[in-house]
Order: sequence, then structure tokens, then C-alpha cells
Amino acid sequence: MIRQSWWKYLGALLIIYVIIVGLLTPMKPGVYEFTPINTKAGKSFTADIITYNTHYKDSSQLRAWLKIDTSYALLSSTIEIQEVNKLKVTFDIPNYNPSTSDVVIADLVIDEKDEHFMVLPQALYITQDSSQVDEGALAWSLSNIENLSENTDFTFPFRWITEESMRNLFFHVSIWFAMFILLIIGIIYAIKYLLSKDLKWDIYSSSLTHVAIVFGIIGMLTGSFWAKFAWGQFWINDPKLNMSAVALLIYLAYWVLRVSITDQDVRARVSAAYSLFAFAALIPLVFVLPRMMDSMHPGNGGNPAFGKDDLDNTMRMVFYPAIIGFTLLGLWISSLYIRFQLLWESYMIKRSN
Amino acid sequence: MGVIYDQKIKLIMRYLNQKFTTLILTLSVVLLTIQDVAAAPFEDFFRSTGKIYVVVAIIAITFLVIVLYLIRLERKINKLEKLQQHESQTS
Repeated sequence: MIRQSWWKYLGALLIIYVIIVGLLTPMKPGVYEFTPINTKAGKSFTADIITYNTHYKDSSQLRAWLKIDTSYALLSSTIEIQEVNKLKVTFDIPNYNPSTSDVVIADLVIDEKDEHFMVLPQALYITQDSSQVDEGALAWSLSNIENLSENTDFTFPFRWITEESMRNLFFHVSIWFAMFILLIIGIIYAIKYLLSKDLKWDIYSSSLTHVAIVFGIIGMLTGSFWAKFAWGQFWINDPKLNMSAVALLIYLAYWVLRVSITDQDVRARVSAAYSLFAFAALIPLVFVLPRMMDSMHPGNGGNPAFGKDDLDNTMRMVFYPAIIGFTLLGLWISSLYIRFQLLWESYMIKRSN
Repeated sequence: MGVIYDQKIKLIMRYLNQKFTTLILTLSVVLLTIQDVAAAPFEDFFRSTGKIYVVVAIIAITFLVIVLYLIRLERKINKLEKLQQHESQTS
């Protein structure tokens, strides 16, 4: 298996596929900017909306709603097209909100015929001085959001702030996945070594773990760069980030540990045992603890993973091949390292004889 | 005194030059400096066109780190080759 090449070519092909399809697939239209973001109930409100990937021509094809929860919606009174991606939309906000609270948050929904509808969550804050829930509920339920156009072409969903950088999912996330798969295979070989005491399995295990650490470093660097343009900082004080940094440091210690022990058998035994413990520490650090705290990172405390809405079927068709592709690439690189180390060992044995 | 000092520095530099980590450290320092000096244009560029250049940069980072690792591996193989050559010449 290690000298066969079909799976190496498969991995390379999958990565090429991911880069081409992942970068060339267009995004669905989406709302880029919505100003101003607050208004008072009972006033006529005009919003400037900038959208992404749209080609407006005819305003009669356009409809816009403000939506509160799932049951209340308000249709716009006028829509004026300013440019292919700029709209001026006026809403006559009813006198009362359908709620007793001082402020409600409305989502924006825009639909263009024969295109895909767009949603901007939490677009507008509507304040009211006094509340009349019944009247507000009646005024807000005059229109329904219906007959939304759906584009079934092969396109990726547009998300506010993430925008095109959503495509990083195929690289940043799948490299972390590949790291985990490499580590798990490394752990299997570490157990194999501990059971058989055959140094060959130690070489397998350590090479896989080394490449996994390199993938972890890539995951950290790419994540940090993405964070700069999604959250505004290269590093934020977030449990997911800090915990994965701790996990990576534990694994860097593995690297140092192997270098510092010269006796082969001791090194193999200690590092196999260490890698088991390091993996046992990695799982709670990366998967459990960040979910129990508030985190900005998707898939953690109070923050859903890229699932359902974000990771739709078109993205899955690139995301899963990306995981397989990067895993195979990692296995390829570690197979080279394994072969080198096997040669090195046999050379050392020959020389000592 | 100065000569010995220079030689020491040369030795240290030669040692450091061989190190993979030094390369990464230098790179990150350079990147951080660039970011400080030209923060605004740098960010504007990456925020333009729906942040597509962030994706490009991330693919580049991925490729760069993998290549650096391969260079490190190749150096090890070179070392083994040299040792074997040396062995066959002496015996």
C-alpha cells in the first residue's frame, strides 16, 4: 500500500478538483450592507441596501420584507433600483411592534424573480415608546412571505461578513479534519508498537504524528488569517482558539520529546505512551471544553457549526472531497517520511555492525 | 577580541541559518512588520471583492507550509545520501 501510487494521485486529483470547483463556483446573491440599522415604530423608513452578485433591472420583479420571528412580516412600500447592486427600499413601519418589549429586531428578506432570495438576519432594530401588542400583531401580519424564488444552479450560499471567504471551509476546516484522521491512524500504530514492540510501527506512528502536527500548524495559521477578516483580529481570546493552541503545544512537546531521547527503545515506548495521552487530552480540549463556553468559533458554545443553512449540498460536494484529498496528501507525505526513516534505521544498523 | 567575537557570531549565524524554525520566525516577523507599516492598504486589499483574496492567501499559506516541510524532509534525505556515499568511498 505504502508504495502503491494510485491513492497518492487520487489525493492530488481531489485537491485539484477542490481548488478549481471551490474557487470557480459562483456565490448566490446576498445582502452586503444595510443602513441605517435602527428606526422608530410608526415612521416611514428608507434603507440603502447594497447587495452582492445581483444584476437588478426591473423593480417590478423585486419584493422586500422585514420579518420578526417566524410569524410577522411587513412588505416594502416602494423599491427603487439605483445601480445593479444598489437599492433604496422604503417600509412604512406600523405604529406598534408585535411585542411588549421596547425594541424588536427584524430580519430582511429580498426576493428577485428568477433569482435566489436573500436574507440578512438581524438587519433592523425597531424601537417603540409604548406597546399595543394586538394592534402591532395585526399590522405586522398583513403580508406573508411567499413564492420565494429559488435558484437551483450549482452555487454556494452567501453569508454576511464571511462572504467569499466562506470557501476557506474547504481548506481550513478540511485540514483540521485531515489532522485528526492522521493522528488517529498514528495512535493505532502507537498501540500496535506497544503490543508488538516492533520499531517499524514506532516509525509509522511518529511520522504520521509529525505530519499531523504540520497540518495543525497550517490549520492554526490559516484560521488566524481568516479570523483577521471575519472577526477583525489575528488572535482573539476565545476558548476554541486557546484550547487548540494548548493542544498543539502538547504535540510540539511530543516533537521535542522524540529529539531529546537518544535510546531507540526508550524513545519509542515513551513517545507511543505520550501520544496516547496527548490524543486523550486533545479531544476534550478541542471538542468538549469550547462547546461548554461562549465562543466565536462556529460549532461551539452558542454558535452553530456551518451546517444546514450554511453547509448546503453544493458545499458538501466540495467539502467532503477536500477532507479525503488532504488526508491522502498527509498520508503521502508521511509515507515519504516513513520510508526515509526505515532507510535511516537500516543504514544505522548496518553501520553499527 | 573583535575577531573572536565576529567568528562566534559567524558560527551562531551558520547554525541558525540551517534551522527550519528560524525561517518561519523570520517570515512571521517580516509579515508582522509589513502589517504594522501598511495596515490599511493590506486590509483593504483583502476585504475587496467579497474577501476572495483571503481564500487565495489561505491556499498560499497551506502550500507554503507543506513545501517548507518537504524541504526539511529533503535535507534529511540529502544527509543520508551523503553518509552512504561517504561510507562507500571509505570502504
